[in-house]
Amino acid sequence: MEHNTLASILAQGSMIAECDGGVWFYLITTILKLVLVFAVILAFVVLSVWIERRVAGWIQDRPGPNRAGIPLHLFQRFGSKEKQPCKKLLHFFGVPEDCWIAKLFRWLRLDREIPTFGLMQPCLDGAKLFLKQELTPSYVRKWYFTLAPMLVLGPPLVAAAVIPFSSGFDTCWGEVNMSVANLGVGPLWIFAISGLSVYGLTLAGWASNSKYPFLGGLRATAQLISYEVAMGLSIIPLLMMFGTLNLQNIVQFQADNGWTILPLWGEGLTWERWFMMVPMLISFVVFVTCVFAEANRTPFDMAECETDLVGGYHSEYSSMKFASFFMGEYAAMVIGSALVVTLFLGGWSIGFGADAALHAWCDWFAAICQFLMFLIKLVAFIFFFVWVRWTLPRFRWDQVMKLGWLVFLEITVANIFLTAAIIYFIN
Amino acid sequence: MEAAISSILFYLFAAIAVLSAFGVVASRNPVTSAMCMALSFASTAAVLFGMGAQFLGIVQIIVYAGAILVLFLFVVMMLDVKSEESTLSRLPRAILGVVVAGVFAGMVTKAALLLPGATDNKCPVLSLFCDDYCATTTAQTPAEPAYGGPLPELKEATDKENSGTKALGETLFTQYSLPFAILSFALLAGTVGAVALGRKIRKD
Repeated sequence: MEHNTLASILAQGSMIAECDGGVWFYLITTILKLVLVFAVILAFVVLSVWIERRVAGWIQDRPGPNRAGIPLHLFQRFGSKEKQPCKKLLHFFGVPEDCWIAKLFRWLRLDREIPTFGLMQPCLDGAKLFLKQELTPSYVRKWYFTLAPMLVLGPPLVAAAVIPFSSGFDTCWGEVNMSVANLGVGPLWIFAISGLSVYGLTLAGWASNSKYPFLGGLRATAQLISYEVAMGLSIIPLLMMFGTLNLQNIVQFQADNGWTILPLWGEGLTWERWFMMVPMLISFVVFVTCVFAEANRTPFDMAECETDLVGGYHSEYSSMKFASFFMGEYAAMVIGSALVVTLFLGGWSIGFGADAALHAWCDWFAAICQFLMFLIKLVAFIFFFVWVRWTLPRFRWDQVMKLGWLVFLEITVANIFLTAAIIYFIN
Repeated sequence: MEAAISSILFYLFAAIAVLSAFGVVASRNPVTSAMCMALSFASTAAVLFGMGAQFLGIVQIIVYAGAILVLFLFVVMMLDVKSEESTLSRLPRAILGVVVAGVFAGMVTKAALLLPGATDNKCPVLSLFCDDYCATTTAQTPAEPAYGGPLPELKEATDKENSGTKALGETLFTQYSLPFAILSFALLAGTVGAVALGRKIRKD
């Protein structure tokens, strides 16, 4: 009896094929997927820091981090006798000094270093934060002071487990589902787990035992809880349309019938679907704004607003503990973007009927293409995140609360009734 | 092997839930109490997950650990409670505690006995989410009246796609729509009362 139920539960979680060694295959693929997702998220945390700085520089009309290349005099040390290897190379091929190739080389700073376009900067920042002095003030509550950064960084990494990053494919040992945990409660899992990071912010504020961090922690708590309500309500119209809570099925639906806010192909291409665009677009705007608020990003970064609160909840933190907060914020941003992409922009689906065609040709190739498509969409949305940050000024605290409770809550509830009416009267 | 892993995880999370629930009462620091309570909720959710009730587990985390307890923590930190003061002396307090605990245990036992499969030697909670058990019993037992008597079974709880969400919603909004509405009004009354009390304090 017990065995029966538990086996069915495992099968439910994994959808493994009923064959010999199915459990081992499931375990091994899960661990591989786990490592892949973890690597992708951490790489995107680093990448989004870089995007943030480059785009900030671009918007503010300054270069941004463009140094931190690998200087060529390193190679001069290790063996090469030529003082400027690049110049020597140009000379060897007979390129004159004022030729466009030489100018291009100089513009890329190739005569001084191997350019990395500032991509090394986040890595060097990381190294700096590791090596900095760790200073714990004497008046803090030690245990919670140490626990708080972990509670901020951990939840976004766990929440990533349900995001489908490619369609599944068959192997000779069984089917592989390309999300770490193919749960039947996908979006709710992400809301629940990333909602837990509020403990980190609150405890950081309280454990610091000083005024401004405490105010920052309180603000963070109030803001996150307020926007969680609107966020949860704003996806209900989508779930009414999809009829499922499983993220992999949601993306499959979008691959077949057109993305939620771009229904341009598929069998669902009817005028009813275009009517549905109205509530979907409302949901999209509300949801994206709530993701901004949940990730504590400008224009909603009330919890670490320098003009009011010094550094907010992480004023007292230094070194790697501060870096954990920093990384947690960016990881939350990456997960938020991934969720928006999955729910509204078609997830891994390439669109325009290309998914079915690729699947008919080769499953493996289709899965790889879809994974790349997912990453491209993710980068595009992270770019949007950064763009908004450097364009809009920060809101005032009462404006943030008013927007959450007096505007978004009403809009989302009305939107649910609108969707229900459209489904009932038109479909 | 699956059974072994599941059993180990069940006992692990059940032990964490019980120990942290003990921590809530035993701890002197109110913030530690609140955090223990959060841990207890989270491990209860993990136990529910292990039984396939993913929706219930996730609601446990969203509602209790994610919202209600954070507000608890919020209030505890704002008030900065130093030590608890008791008005009752030791013996009456102990008697009161025993009575309250006894009544509560009785309620839980009664509810557990009303679960389907409780009386015929099968684990009551597991049978909620087990399709072969439901298949055998629903054929024999006639339909029960809506209120009182054994609790209804969620027959579609094992639908793989939605992990019981649909079955739960259908049961809640058809068979139990009236109690559900009454409970909602009770919560609404509580909210309105809290707002009224909060306003009064602000005027003074």
